[in-house]
Amino acid sequence: MNVLGIESSCDETSVAVISNGKLLSNLIASQHFHKLYGGVVPELSSRAHLQIIMPLLKQALTESKLELNEVDVVAATAGPGLIGALLVGLSFAKGLAFSLNKKFVAVNHIEGHIFSGFLMEEKPEFPYLCLVVSGGHTLLLIVKSETEIIKLGTTVDDAAGEAFDKAAKLMGLEYPGGPLIQKYARLGNPERFPFPIAKLKNPYDFSFSGLKTALLRFKQKEYGNSKIPEADLPDIAASFQNAIVKALILKAEKALSEFKVNSLSIVGGVAANERLKNEALTLASKFGIKAVIPLPEYCGDNAAMIAYRGMLLAKNNMFNSFEFNAYPSLKKINFSNWKSI
Amino acid sequence: MERVVEIKDLDELREFAREFAKRLNDGDCVVLTGDLGSGKTTFVKELCKNFGIENVTSPSFAIINEYENERKIYHLDFYRIKRWEELINIGYFELIQNEEAIKFIEWGDLFSNVLPSKRIELKFEIVEEDKRKITIEEH
Repeated sequence: MNVLGIESSCDETSVAVISNGKLLSNLIASQHFHKLYGGVVPELSSRAHLQIIMPLLKQALTESKLELNEVDVVAATAGPGLIGALLVGLSFAKGLAFSLNKKFVAVNHIEGHIFSGFLMEEKPEFPYLCLVVSGGHTLLLIVKSETEIIKLGTTVDDAAGEAFDKAAKLMGLEYPGGPLIQKYARLGNPERFPFPIAKLKNPYDFSFSGLKTALLRFKQKEYGNSKIPEADLPDIAASFQNAIVKALILKAEKALSEFKVNSLSIVGGVAANERLKNEALTLASKFGIKAVIPLPEYCGDNAAMIAYRGMLLAKNNMFNSFEFNAYPSLKKINFSNWKSI
Repeated sequence: MERVVEIKDLDELREFAREFAKRLNDGDCVVLTGDLGSGKTTFVKELCKNFGIENVTSPSFAIINEYENERKIYHLDFYRIKRWEELINIGYFELIQNEEAIKFIEWGDLFSNVLPSKRIELKFEIVEEDKRKITIEEH
């Protein structure tokens, strides 16, 4: 089975091909990349996706040594995301499947992330604890099977990736903040400044808004309205990163003590954070289970995970009609059997 | 007409949000301005609880969050928008005319040219620690 995956839920446009479970191509054009080639500053979402999606498809097929009519299933992200951006990839995919007389699968972006560990050599084993951490989402889940997902908790305010970006802004660093904080944090002392970890009613929920405010307060107290001196950035970055990673790991640890699982998988853009990765490996070995953290190219938004999820749904005969529409928010996340505890 | 409210902690913010919620009608647009960490999202979160909505999160990344219970809410954030034209693609101009929903726009001052002429503006200022000054202005 040859599956074509298309992703355009936010800033990245991506096209991937999976053939009989093997990833043949995964091309990602970030809008930043696009800026270098397009010559104009692209708008967030729709127009940039529209310009790049066709060239990406052609290149992905060439790399995969496949003809367009050899594609069996077309899978595309239907949500959640920016509606204008989603519509480009989804409409393109539907049009393609319709004209080629092929099957179409609408993929939930978060479910794409949840199963992205399967793109690795070493795959998660069911049931597994999954932590989805990205710019827009922070979720703790138990994945029981290909079609059964149990939600333990989520963020009640800011997502983990957003906390990194906003902290970077407060610290006077540029966008994207996550990688810059990680860079400074490598040189800093993570224990120097104790930033708070939120306690919540549901022990599996997350909150990072208070952490942001704590950083702001700290900055005002220490430096008033002036810039944080370069020399202090490493310790602040390390301490802030420590607080985020600790919160994520603590909740994961609690879940591992409570539920019997065979693997721990950390996915989404923030999973590329090396400190989180190291802590996750330590945690998993403490419980004697496998840790699966995808390579960075499968952590950020990408079509490989959409193609993979599309393949799983196709195997389960969960196809969609061409009337299936894009949806912006997480609440309609009900393709698979999602439950809350 | 301008009114200034001093809030000393989260409890007072909750109380202010509760009173404010009572005066809101479907179709209203509330613009929230103020620095990172000044309490814009927290205010919307506390306010929406009065409508039975418990799942308010920051829309900075998603740009538009949608909630519905006793009322329908659009929770927007211009933080990540670089040019106002991007709002066309996002469906902002259709959404803002929706008379059945209450609209909240964080960082609305970044693109004041696209704000509806009839709106309530809340300016959040950090006084110290948890203390906030909120300036309410009806346009």
